[in-house]
Amino acid sequence: MKLTESKADMQGRILSVSGDDHFMNRITSIGITEGTAFQTVKNDRKMPVLIYLRETLISLNRADAERIEVETA
Amino acid sequence: MTGSIALLGQPNSGKSTIYNNLTGARQHVGNWAGKTVEKNEGSYIYDGKKFSVTDLPGSYGLSGNSDEEIITTDYIKSGKSELTVVLVDASQLERSMFMLAEFARLDKPALLVLNMIDVAKGLGKEIDTKTLEKKLGIPVLPFNATDTKDYDRLKKLIAEELKNPHKLAVAAPEIHADVKSDSKAKFEWVSSIIDGVTGTKASVYKMSRFDRLMTRPILGKLICIGVVLLAFFVAMIIMIPFMSIGEMIPKTLHDPVEKLLTGWNVHSWIVSVFSTMLPNVLYFVISMASFVFGVNVVFGFLEETGFLARAAYQFDGLLSKLGLQGKAICPMLMGFGCTIGGACGTRVMDNWGQRMLAMSIVWAIPCASIWSIIPVISGMFFAWWQTMLVCIGILLYVVVTMIVVSKLFSRKLAPKETRSGMIMELPPYHKAHWRHIFKEAFFKAWDIFKRALGTVTLVSVLFYVLSFSSDGNVDHSLLYRVGSFIEPVTKFFGMGWQTFMAFVSGAFAKEAVLGTLNAVFMGNKTLMEATFYAKTSATDTALLGGAMTSVISPAEALAFMFATTFNIPCLMALSTTYKESHSLKWTVRVALFYFCNALVLSGIVYHIAELFM
Repeated sequence: MKLTESKADMQGRILSVSGDDHFMNRITSIGITEGTAFQTVKNDRKMPVLIYLRETLISLNRADAERIEVETA
Repeated sequence: MTGSIALLGQPNSGKSTIYNNLTGARQHVGNWAGKTVEKNEGSYIYDGKKFSVTDLPGSYGLSGNSDEEIITTDYIKSGKSELTVVLVDASQLERSMFMLAEFARLDKPALLVLNMIDVAKGLGKEIDTKTLEKKLGIPVLPFNATDTKDYDRLKKLIAEELKNPHKLAVAAPEIHADVKSDSKAKFEWVSSIIDGVTGTKASVYKMSRFDRLMTRPILGKLICIGVVLLAFFVAMIIMIPFMSIGEMIPKTLHDPVEKLLTGWNVHSWIVSVFSTMLPNVLYFVISMASFVFGVNVVFGFLEETGFLARAAYQFDGLLSKLGLQGKAICPMLMGFGCTIGGACGTRVMDNWGQRMLAMSIVWAIPCASIWSIIPVISGMFFAWWQTMLVCIGILLYVVVTMIVVSKLFSRKLAPKETRSGMIMELPPYHKAHWRHIFKEAFFKAWDIFKRALGTVTLVSVLFYVLSFSSDGNVDHSLLYRVGSFIEPVTKFFGMGWQTFMAFVSGAFAKEAVLGTLNAVFMGNKTLMEATFYAKTSATDTALLGGAMTSVISPAEALAFMFATTFNIPCLMALSTTYKESHSLKWTVRVALFYFCNALVLSGIVYHIAELFM
């Protein structure tokens, strides 16, 4: 599923991330890489998605979160 | 003997706090050659030797092709600094060590600072620095930015390392052509390094109660607006003492200087330069610096505690429509108080393009001065409910201007492919380090003071020459001659020479508008005195209202109010924008846009209003 479809408190794993090099650089340098375990903290409609990953609370723009595929761990 | 070091770290790694505490007042702000990225260099003396410090631009990595990343990589490669101090956040070790993985490929001497070790301990995270040191082959220093003893330790370590530098002993992460596998390799490198160094257990994250409130869609936004308004109020309180001192300068200097110079038979032209203009320039610059100080204290606090990141989360959706990140919400709300404050507040933005765009959008927000003069002028011509309508009309046009500015400038300043809006960490709430916040705010204010003094003096002299008349009568000034010469043109925009002159003086200081109107309609003061003395002398609005309503029509008055509101905010805002953006080209571009926009708007309002009034 897409990250935007995940429910709050879900424990999951990043399956894949797709986008141009600029986006990939940004997203991977903050720690969102394939295979990383994460937790969806908050996912409200029309609001950025909040995830917890590598000991960090990260806020992601919805459009960007659409490009991230995840699975439940 | 001297040594040179560079500071490298991700945003939120505490880099600027360490930089400011190392260098204190010995700082220099400039530009990286050919780039609009701010270059911060400073120095400190330790053990009788001078050490120069370069604060490298903050970014999450070094592999991207943003200006910040290219500058940083090139600088480290060039070897201009003998030692790179790499800062990582100990409380988020795994993620922030990514920077070290990037640095490893450059193969230069380094030492590692584990900043926020106190926060990590508070979260129950233990880090075995000795093992880490052994694995990396470079010294590792646990660090707490609030502890002054830690700075001595850092300085001592830097001095030792410069004599006997160490490079990373571990092989750098493998290089892959595609970004995906390359980042993966870097994080695998980090994992192998911190394996056995820190016992991080996968845990379920629980939001604090405050965060749960802060992230609620509507309530959170209301809290943010409330906090920023409160912050603005506090910033005003902080600046009041400085402002009052500044205000006393023209008041106390004017008469004695005038008397003294006149007694020496100095020509009255020169007398007014020294008795009126220069003391007021000093006052302007002091008010400007105190705004900067107050705003920086408040913003420093909001940023350090982690509040700004929450506000950014709340407003990102709305602001992304303007091409801005959520972080821009604070400077924008600040703009309702003071454009200078708003322009300084854009410092929280990630990159230069976003900053410049945010500053140009902040200009559209009418500041407190405008809200104090519009009702006065409107009250001369209209009933109270019509004044309300004028204010609502102004607010609606604020939104229009913002959209136009964004449409015009965002393609250049924030191209779609660089919009990295909201991939952002929400740092845990930190306690604010007041001493550091005040220190930092003071340096920024001092810096602005020094650099603005020249600009403001220059522009004031220019205005002085234009408004000068040998007998003090406005009708003999260059400005009047130009004004009345182009009156046929300005008339088209709904302004006669008097209102046009007031409009122009509004670009210097909004408070000057009433004074100028007074000078041109009542003729009881020179234009020069009207402009510079606006803040210190009272205007009899009832008399002025009588004089104005007999000369200009309500349609002209309405056009004038819109023109004044959306004109260049003031000389100090202009100068601050230039100082903060380091780009004369863009400052002029934005200023030209606002000037023309105000004129066109004035014309439109005038011609439409004429149909109905």
